[in-house]
Formats: sequence, structure tokens, C-alpha cells
Amino acid sequence: MLKRLAYLALCACAPLHAAPSMDESRLQALAADPYWIALGHYETGKLGGWRSYVDDDRFFLAQDGAHHPDRELAATLEALYAPASKGDQHAQCVYPARTRWLREQLQLSDLPSPDCAEYKRWFEDVSPHSAVLIFPAAYLNSPSSMFGHTLLRIDQADVQSNETALLSYAVNFGAYIEGNDNSILYAWKGLMGGYPGLFAFVPYQEKLSEYRSLENRDLWEYRLNLTPEETGRMVEHIWELKQIRFDYFFFDENCSYRLLELLQVARPSLDLTSHFPLTAIPTDTVKAVKKAGLVERVDYRPSRERELLARAEPLDKAEQQQVLAVAADTGKLQSPEFTALPKPRQALVQDAAYRLERYRATGQERDADQARRSFELLRAINRNPPPPLEIERPGLPEDGHESRTWQLGVGTREDRAFAEYGLRMAYHDLNDNAYGFPLGAQIEILQLKLRQYEGNDWQVQRLDLATIRSLTPRNDLLKPWSWQVSGGLERVPGKHDDEVLVSHVNGGAGGTWKLGDDMLGFALGTVRVEHHNDFAQFIAPAAGFNTGVLWRNGLGNLSVEAKGDYFTNGEVRRSLSLNQQWELSDSLGLRLSAKREFSQLATAQNEVMLELKWYNY
Amino acid sequence: MKRILLGTLFTAVSINAMAQAPGGPDCGWGNMLFEGQRGTPAHFLASTTNGTSGNATFGMTSGTNGCSTNAALTYGGKSWFAMNGMMNELSEDMAKGQGEALTTYAVVLGVAPEDRAHFAAVTHQHFQDIFKTADITAEDVHNNTLAVLKSDARLAKYATPA
Repeated sequence: MLKRLAYLALCACAPLHAAPSMDESRLQALAADPYWIALGHYETGKLGGWRSYVDDDRFFLAQDGAHHPDRELAATLEALYAPASKGDQHAQCVYPARTRWLREQLQLSDLPSPDCAEYKRWFEDVSPHSAVLIFPAAYLNSPSSMFGHTLLRIDQADVQSNETALLSYAVNFGAYIEGNDNSILYAWKGLMGGYPGLFAFVPYQEKLSEYRSLENRDLWEYRLNLTPEETGRMVEHIWELKQIRFDYFFFDENCSYRLLELLQVARPSLDLTSHFPLTAIPTDTVKAVKKAGLVERVDYRPSRERELLARAEPLDKAEQQQVLAVAADTGKLQSPEFTALPKPRQALVQDAAYRLERYRATGQERDADQARRSFELLRAINRNPPPPLEIERPGLPEDGHESRTWQLGVGTREDRAFAEYGLRMAYHDLNDNAYGFPLGAQIEILQLKLRQYEGNDWQVQRLDLATIRSLTPRNDLLKPWSWQVSGGLERVPGKHDDEVLVSHVNGGAGGTWKLGDDMLGFALGTVRVEHHNDFAQFIAPAAGFNTGVLWRNGLGNLSVEAKGDYFTNGEVRRSLSLNQQWELSDSLGLRLSAKREFSQLATAQNEVMLELKWYNY
Repeated sequence: MKRILLGTLFTAVSINAMAQAPGGPDCGWGNMLFEGQRGTPAHFLASTTNGTSGNATFGMTSGTNGCSTNAALTYGGKSWFAMNGMMNELSEDMAKGQGEALTTYAVVLGVAPEDRAHFAAVTHQHFQDIFKTADITAEDVHNNTLAVLKSDARLAKYATPA
């Protein structure tokens, strides 16, 4: 009897809870399908075979699923048929995207139906309908932000008609930082892959205040033409990545790459990731997405700092002083100086003062006095509201020049002619084609220049590891410091009028002022350490200055600079230089450079060069 | 909705899911106006690696600022808890009589599109009744808003959501 019961039970259960048997070739074909590869975040391994970017055992159902898409597929298929009583732990609840795809591919009509309460609640809360690619643009005073970041926003159905983007969620991929590593270790580990990458799903509002207020970055919103169905597919897959650890490397396996993968899950016909062989820079993400025809429209949200500056822009000197006075002491709202202003001007001053107060409060703990001042200003604004702030949209960041630059120059140094060949891996200098970049920002990574003098005489002219310059103008309201650092190898005047290759690190700090609409003047104090073969010391320190003018004109950017380094060993090295860019096209620029160098070790040297720059990739 | 909230607030010790009621320890409900900004990048280069420290949130909890809510949700799964994180923006918009946070507030309160301009005008006019002090909390702002809506013939219907 017992035996018969057991037999019956077996018969009853087997067809119910077993995955359909599938022949090997069908399984292999399915497992090689680009969609399955995308869902598992597989890439072809260096030595053939597959490996997944996911670095987390919890993501895989098969023991060696990270390296075997086919075994993972077989294991998934089996798990889909587990008893429905597993509830939220059921594979169908944990892997909704895999489930949907396999169900469609294999017409699985007999799957158990677990109650995925947790997942359903989450999905309803998100209610995906459309998606927006978010790109926080570079902030001048934080050149590391130049590489940017991209995230996705998931909108509900009526976000556009209701203007409720503030209620949407943002999908963010970033390094997951644990413990209390110090800053240096943090930066190093972040760059070298010491932290795992994780997806987070946070209110868009939080991300907005992070970028617009804390970091003062403008935000660009690219509304994508994904259908509700495509958006839903992507969000299903994002659920599968909840708390799942990825490899994270700053240069390639970063946010940009992960987001492109997500878009491919949304719309399988897209091929975005294969265009990113080496490094994925966020602007490139935007370009790739745009090129694929995904962008429906572009919106711009200025940073809080830009809003403050725009509000203060029409104010004259005396009114700006009023802004400072009123922000410091709201009692001054009753002062004769303030009340003498016409009402509309008072409205502007009050608003600027409020914005200045909030700008200063950014990133600080709540301060009761400051809160009271802000509140008083709000009450004043309420009585006399300013007109809405209109801010002109700057150039689209993705239309700025490409990052990798090839350079070909011809010139003369004193009476010797030369040709110069250069390659820069990234990104932008003060004179480069300006569209989409702020004036006064420079960040260059890895630049090599080789020079060929007459008589086939070759030399390394310079090797820059990194050059960063941040020339942010000061005004009555905001007084940022300007600064610069650079390091590498370069040629400087040496004995017998030779050009000597030295290794150096230098930096400076100072101020920048707006001299005109498109003109900046800057003055920085500098320090430098250098290893120079003509010096007795192994390492020679110097202090000096670097000052100049930067002017955006009809041709391109012009810079005129004077520099001086006063070494402790008596050497004094100074130079005057002029650079004018002629912007030929989006991807081509012609630069005229002239320089005169003075040194205690050599006679003054003149150099003139005409250089073609090709912004290639 | 308000009744449910008050009910849970005054429930002594609860062993069910409502333990995490508004005002609970994990719940950001009741942010004060001009609260310091959270999420300050504590590390150099935070913007470079786009790091997140702490628990990587995954929606839901943070959408309601850590408050688990069984209260009726007014708008596409979003309650006006969401406004808790936008208090500064809301106060500024309301003082000026227009802006995205103010529109959002109208939407989560269930104000129909044709009444939103009127809502903006009325709340602007009554800004000082709604934002009474510099250290007002989100909860009081909400209560004061409902009081203002009640006294307006056209908006009174939004003051007592079903």
C-alpha cells in the first residue's frame, strides 16, 4: 500500500515539478543567445570561453554559472519549476527577467506560480513606464568630475504631464565603499577595482540634490524612447541585480558600461557595448545612446551655483553689496539702502541673498541662525516674489570635441626646424575647441610628444602624466580658489643652449577674475620640484608664479601666459607664451604657439609652432 | 490617511509591521526645514568613482524615507512622505508661487490638473500660515496645508483624502 502511494506520488509530482527536457543543441543555442549573455553579464574570456562581470556567487544558480552560460541556463530552468511554496525565494521571484525570457523562448505554459509579494510590491512602487538617461556635467572646480557620471531615471506613466520627475527613482551604479578607508586609499582602491560595484535604486530627488547642490554640477536629462514594455523589461532585470556585486574599474567597467548593458536588456536589438573596447567615458555613453537613436528630447537643469550666479548677474556693484549685507543680517531688509531700491530690484537682491545663504549652507549641518535667516528671506521673497529665473542652455556636453587627440606640428626653435608628433589620451586643455566645455578648465591624462629635428634627430619632447588646471572666476559673492597641478617629463633650457629632459612635479594656487564677457585673467603662485641633470642637487625645488589671460574669441581660445620659476640653487627660468586655437571643425583644430624662454643656463630661446589637432575618439 | 497615521503614532508597542510607523527610528519622517543635506561626499574623489557608502538602497524604503507605510497611497504608489526630502525646495517654491516641488506637492495631495494653478496661488498666498517658523517639520507643513485647503472652497475637497 505504502509502496503504491509512493509510486503514485512520484507519478503525480514528476511531471509537475520537472523542467522540460531539452536537447543539448537547443540548450546550447539558447545559452549563446545575446539576450541570455546580456542577462548574465557575460563577456568572452581572455582565454576563450565566458566570464561574467558579476563577481557574486549569489547571482548564479549553477556552481560554475559565472563561466558557463549554458549550465546557468539549465540550472535556471530547473529552478523555475521549484515548488511555488518557496514564495519570495523562488527563482521566478528572484529572476523575473530570466523567467520572462525563458518562458517566451520555450513556451513554458506549465510553470508553477509562486506569489512574489516582495517583488510585486517593489515593481508597483516603481511603476516603470519610460526612462531618462541622466548626465551630471563637469564642474569647473572639480576637474575629476570632468569624466562625469551617468545614471538612469525610471519614470511613471504621467511624469511628463504632471511634472513629477522628483518622485521618480534613479538607478545608479557605483563603487560600494565599506568601512573607513582614508582618502588616499579610497581613491586608489576606487580606481584599481578594490571596491565592488553595486546598483542602487534611490529617489531621483536625492541624486538631484547631490549633484546640483553638493557638487554644483549641471544636469542633463536625455529622455529615451524606450516603450513601457522595454522599460519594464529593464526594471525586471535591475531587480535581479539587487545587492549583487560587480567588478568595478574606474576606466572601463564603470557606470557607463553597466547602463549600456541595461539598455540592451531593454531593447535587445541595440548593440551599444561592443563600441567600448578600452575606456568608457560617460560623455561617450551619451554619444552612443544618441547615435542609436534612443534620445527623444533633452532637458537641462542648471546647478544651484549657476542659478545663484545667473540671479546675481544683472545686479550692479551696489546691489551685490546689498546681497551680501542682507544675507549676513536679514535686519538689513529694513535698512534705508535696501528699501531705497526699486521693488523689482529688491526682489532680485532678496532672491540672490537667499540663494547665497543656501549655497553656503550646502553640505553643512543645520544651523539654527542660518535657518532663521533663510526663513526671513523666504518670507520677504513671499511678499515680493522675483520673476522666474531664465537660464540659457549651454552647449550639449556630448557635442564637445572627442577625448583622444592626435597632434601633428611643424615649427622652428631658434634656427632649427622640427616636426612634432603627439598623442593625448584624454581630455581637454585651455585652448582646445571650446564647445561644451567651461572656459578655464583643463584636465589632461597621458600625453606624449615626440620631436623630430632637421637631420632626423628624434627626441622625447614631453610626457605628461596628468595636467589639471581649474581657473574659476571670483566675484563679489563667490570666491573660489584657482589651482593647478601637473607632473611628468618635459624639456627645459640647459647648458650649451641644449634642451634638457627633466622630470618634474608642480602645482599652484591663486585667483581668477572675469575681465570681460569671454575673458578671464588669472594669477597663481607656484611651487615646483625638478630633477635636472645640469643641477648639482638631485632634486631642486623652486617657487614662482604663473599669470595670464584667457580669451574666447571668434577663432577659438587665446591664452597669453607668463611663468617664472626661481630655484633655490640660483637658476631662474621664465617664459612668455601665446597660444591661439583656430577651431576648424568639431574634430579638428589648428593651434599657433609662440614662446620665448629665458634661463640662467642658456641664452633666450624663441620657438614657434603650428599644430594640427585631431580629436579622434 | 491622517487618522491612520495618528493611530499608529499613538499605538504603544506594536509587534506587527506597523512598528516602523512614521516617526519611528528608521524613518526620516518629519524632517525639519533647512535640514542639513545628507550624503555629503566624505571622501576625496567621491565624484570620480561615484561611490556610495552605507547600504546600497534599492527603492521602497528610501522612497518613503525609511517609513513603512500601510496608509493609503495617493499617487501612483507615492505618498506625500516623498515630500519629506523636498522640504527646502517646497518652501522656496511656495514662497515664490511656482516651481517643480510645488507642482509635485499638488500631485501627491491628489490635486487635479485643472486646480493646480489655483493650488499654487493659494499656498503662495498662505505661505506664512503653512511655513510658520524656521524650524517647522514636514508633518506640520502637511497639517497646515490641509488646514489652508479646507478654508478654500475650490480646494477643500483635497483636504480630506479618502
